[in-house]
Amino acid sequence: MDTPPMNRSRALLQKIAWSIFTILFVIILNFFLFRVLPGDPARAGIRDPRLKKEAVEILRIRFGLDKPVINCFESLNPIKVGSCDVNPLDTQFFIYIRNLLQGELGFSYHTNRPVTEILSERLWNTVLLIGAGQILAILIGVALGVFAAWKARTSLDYAAVMVSLLAWSLPTFWLGIILLFWGSANGFPLAGKATPGMSSMPLLQQWGDILWHMFLPTLTYTIVYMGEYTLIMRSSLMDVLSEDYILTAKAKGLSMFQILKDHALKNAMLPLVTVIAINLGFTVAGAIQIEAVFSWPGLGSAIVEAVGRRDFPMLQGAFLLIAVAVILANMLADLTYTYLDPRVKME
Amino acid sequence: MKQKALYVLVLVALLVSACGGGGQSAVVRIGWAGSPDTLNPGMAILVEAYTIFELVYDSMYELNLDGSFTLSLAESVSTSEDGLVWTYKIRDGLKWHDGQPLTAEDIAFSYNLYKDTPEYPYMNGYYTPYFDTIVATENNEVVLTLTEAIPNIESQLIFLYVLPKHVWEAQDKLEYENFEMIGSGPFKMTEYVQNEFVRLTANKEHFATPPKVDEVIFQTFENQDALVQAIKTGQVDMITEMPNTAAESLKADENIELVVGAPLAPGVTDIIFNQTDPENCPTEEGGICSGHPALRDRDVRLAMAHATDKQRLIDVILLGLGNPGLTLIPDGLGVWYNDSLQDYEFDVAKANQILDDAGYADTDGDGVREMPDGSESLTFRLNWPSDSINAPRMAELLDEMWAQIGIALEPQAVDPDALTAQCCPAFDFDIMIWGWASDPDPSALLYVYTTEAIPSGSSETGYSNPAYDELYAEQQVTLDFEARKDIVWEMQKIVHDDVVYIIPFYDANVQAYRTDRFTGWLTGQAKVELADVTSLVLIEPVK
Repeated sequence: MDTPPMNRSRALLQKIAWSIFTILFVIILNFFLFRVLPGDPARAGIRDPRLKKEAVEILRIRFGLDKPVINCFESLNPIKVGSCDVNPLDTQFFIYIRNLLQGELGFSYHTNRPVTEILSERLWNTVLLIGAGQILAILIGVALGVFAAWKARTSLDYAAVMVSLLAWSLPTFWLGIILLFWGSANGFPLAGKATPGMSSMPLLQQWGDILWHMFLPTLTYTIVYMGEYTLIMRSSLMDVLSEDYILTAKAKGLSMFQILKDHALKNAMLPLVTVIAINLGFTVAGAIQIEAVFSWPGLGSAIVEAVGRRDFPMLQGAFLLIAVAVILANMLADLTYTYLDPRVKME
Repeated sequence: MKQKALYVLVLVALLVSACGGGGQSAVVRIGWAGSPDTLNPGMAILVEAYTIFELVYDSMYELNLDGSFTLSLAESVSTSEDGLVWTYKIRDGLKWHDGQPLTAEDIAFSYNLYKDTPEYPYMNGYYTPYFDTIVATENNEVVLTLTEAIPNIESQLIFLYVLPKHVWEAQDKLEYENFEMIGSGPFKMTEYVQNEFVRLTANKEHFATPPKVDEVIFQTFENQDALVQAIKTGQVDMITEMPNTAAESLKADENIELVVGAPLAPGVTDIIFNQTDPENCPTEEGGICSGHPALRDRDVRLAMAHATDKQRLIDVILLGLGNPGLTLIPDGLGVWYNDSLQDYEFDVAKANQILDDAGYADTDGDGVREMPDGSESLTFRLNWPSDSINAPRMAELLDEMWAQIGIALEPQAVDPDALTAQCCPAFDFDIMIWGWASDPDPSALLYVYTTEAIPSGSSETGYSNPAYDELYAEQQVTLDFEARKDIVWEMQKIVHDDVVYIIPFYDANVQAYRTDRFTGWLTGQAKVELADVTSLVLIEPVK
C-alpha cells in the first residue's frame, strides 16, 4: 500500500459525499416520479358505487393530497397550475421532506400501517431469500467457472459452458413454474414463507420450516444466476491464465492449485465483483418474478402491489431503500476492488 | 458438505414431524389469491377483509346465501309506526372472545363510532347517513332512530360489525391496526401475517353457530396456477377462486368438487358507452367529454347490442361458466333481478338494418360506416384495465363482431388507475370494458345510472333520464317490499330499453373443495361462497 493515507481518506470522503448527493436526488425524484402517474390514490383499485364523492374527498384530506403538490402547482397529473402564494411549508413536497428528515416514512394508503413496519417485514424476507440464492449462485458459479477454465477446451469445459448458458437463458418465470409443479408433487410447499401455525413451535423447527419453504425459490434463483457467474469467471480466469506471469509460476514448478490460489484467482475475480455488486444492490428490490411464482412475501411483490394502489408512501419508502442499497453495494464494490487489486486506486 | 448434510437432516426431521404431529384437531386450509388490506373494519376496502370480519365479528343481522336476512345479535326487533325508530332487544349472556360480556352498550358504541367517523369510506359514507341517534337502554336494547324511513335496514346493518367498546374506546380509531381483533363471532383471530395467512380458531361457545371444526387457515397464493395445484395435491382443502381454464381439470379429479354460482357480493362485467354531451358534461369536476357523438344515438347502441353474441363471449372467455347479462342488476341479487326482460337477440342483419335506416352509411367504401352527415367514421376507442384477464379476449371478439356491422375499434389496455382518471368524471373515452362489485341491496348499483352520479364519478356513461332519477329516489323510501320491487324492476326496464350498457355476463364465483377432507359445505343456494361464515360453521371432517 503505497498510497498516502491522507489521500485515501479524502477519496473515501468524496465517495461518501457523492453517495449522499445521489440519495438526495433520489428522494426528490421519488416524490415527483409517482405524482406524475395518472390516477388518484384515494380511488385507486376501488370499483364500488358505495364509495361516494364525499368519502373520496375525506380520504384525500387524510392522505394530505388536498394540499398543493408544491408552490405554483396544484397537481402534476393532470398538471394543474395553482397559486404561488401558498405557504411553502404547507405543500405536499415540504411535508414529505420534513417527515423524511424526522425518519418518518408515513402510513401506507392501502394497508393503513406504518411504511417502515411493512418495509422491514418485507425486506427481511427478501434478503433471506435472495441472499441465500446469491451466496449459493456465487459459490457454485465461481467453482464451476474455475473448474471450466482449468479444464479449458476439454469436454468437461464444454459441458460446463453448455449448462451455464442454458441456465442463464432460462426465463425465470418459466423455470419457477416448472420447479413449482415438480416440487408440489414431491411434498414441497406451494406458497409462502412458513406453514401457518408454526410460530408456536420450537425455534429450530420454525427455521426448518422456513428452509423447507425457501428451497424451491432459492433453487430457481441459484440456477438462473449461477450460469452468469460461471461464464464470467471462466472467461476472466482463462484470460489471466494466458498471462506470462502464470507461465513463470508454472516454470517455478508450482502446482495448479497454488497457481490458482496465489496468482490467478484474485485477478480473475475483478469483473465478477462488478457483476455481483450490481446484482447485490438490486437484491433488495427482490426478484419480482420469483416472488410472484412462489407467493414469497418479499419487497418485490409489495412494490408491485403499491404501484397498483398508487400507494405513494410505500413507493417512496421502497424506492429510497433500493437506492440506498444499490449505492452501498457500489461503494462496497469499489472498496473490494482496491483490496483485490492495489493498482486500482481510489481517486 | 457438513452444512448440506445438516440441511437435509433438518428437512427429514421436519417431514417426519409434519406427518406425525398432525394431531386430532380439524384444521380447514383455504387458499385464496388475496389478503385483507386492514383489519380495522372502518378502513377496510378489500372483500378479503370482509370475509374475515364475517367470521370474527357478529352483526345485528346475518346475510344468508339464499339472499335472506336473519336476526343475529338481537333476539327481536320492533319498529315505530313511521318506520323511524328501530328497537332491537339484544340477546342476554353474549360474550366477547376475551370473556367480557357483550351488551347493547357495545352495539351503540360501534354504531356511533361508524356514524361519527367520516374517514370510514363505506361504514360512514354509505351505511350510516340515515342514522340520527343510537342509544343503549337499561333493558339491553338498542334504539336506532333514523332521519328518514328506509326499506333496507337489514342490508344497511349487516356490514356494521359490532366492536368491543372496552377495546376500541382506548384506541385511535383511524390508526388502530386491530391485529388482536377481539370479536364475538364463530371464529377467533389467532394469528395474522399480512399477505401470508390468517389463522382463526373456533369459538365453540358461540350463541348461534358454534363451528364443528377447530381451526380455519386462509393462505395467500399470489399465483393462481399454484392455487389450483395446491388443491390438487391436497395442500389446501378449498380454494375461493381459480382461472376458469382450471375448471375442467378439477372437475375430472374425483376428490374435488367444483361449485359455480353468483358471488355473495354481486359482481358484473360491463361494456360502457360514453354518452355525455356538452350539456351534461361535468366540466367543474374535470369533465372532458370526448366521447364519439354516434354513441349518444340509441340506434347505434342498439345495433351494437344486436351484433353482440353474448353466448359466444361466455363460451370463449368464461369457458361457459357464466350467465348472459341484462342490466347492472345481476341475477345474483335474487328478487331484485328483473328476469322478465327480453334481451336483444343476436342478429347481425337486423343490426345492419338499424344502422342503414338511421343513416349511417359506408360512403367511402372502406368497410366502416360514417356519421349521417359524413363527418366522422364509426371508429371507437376501446379501453380496459390492464390487470383484467378477460378483457383482452373480449376486446378481440367485440372487434370481430362489430366489424360485421361496419364499426371499427381501436383497442388498448390502460393501467387501471389511469383508466379511472380517464373514465369518470372526465369521460375521456368512447367505450370501456370494466365491471362493478357491490352491495346485496340493489340501490348501490342502481345509483350508477342516475344523473346525480355523473359529477360524483360513479356514473361511467353520463346517462341522464329524469324519469329514472325520480324512480331511484322513490325506491329509496318505498317501505312496502312488493311496491319497491316493482319500481326496481321498472328501472331495469328503462335502462335496458335505452341500451345504456351492454352487459355481456354476470360474474360467477368458481370455487372448489376437496371431498375427502371436509363435508357439509353449504351449496345449492342462490349464491356460492364456501368461505362464508354460514358455510364454515357447518362443515365437519370426513370420518
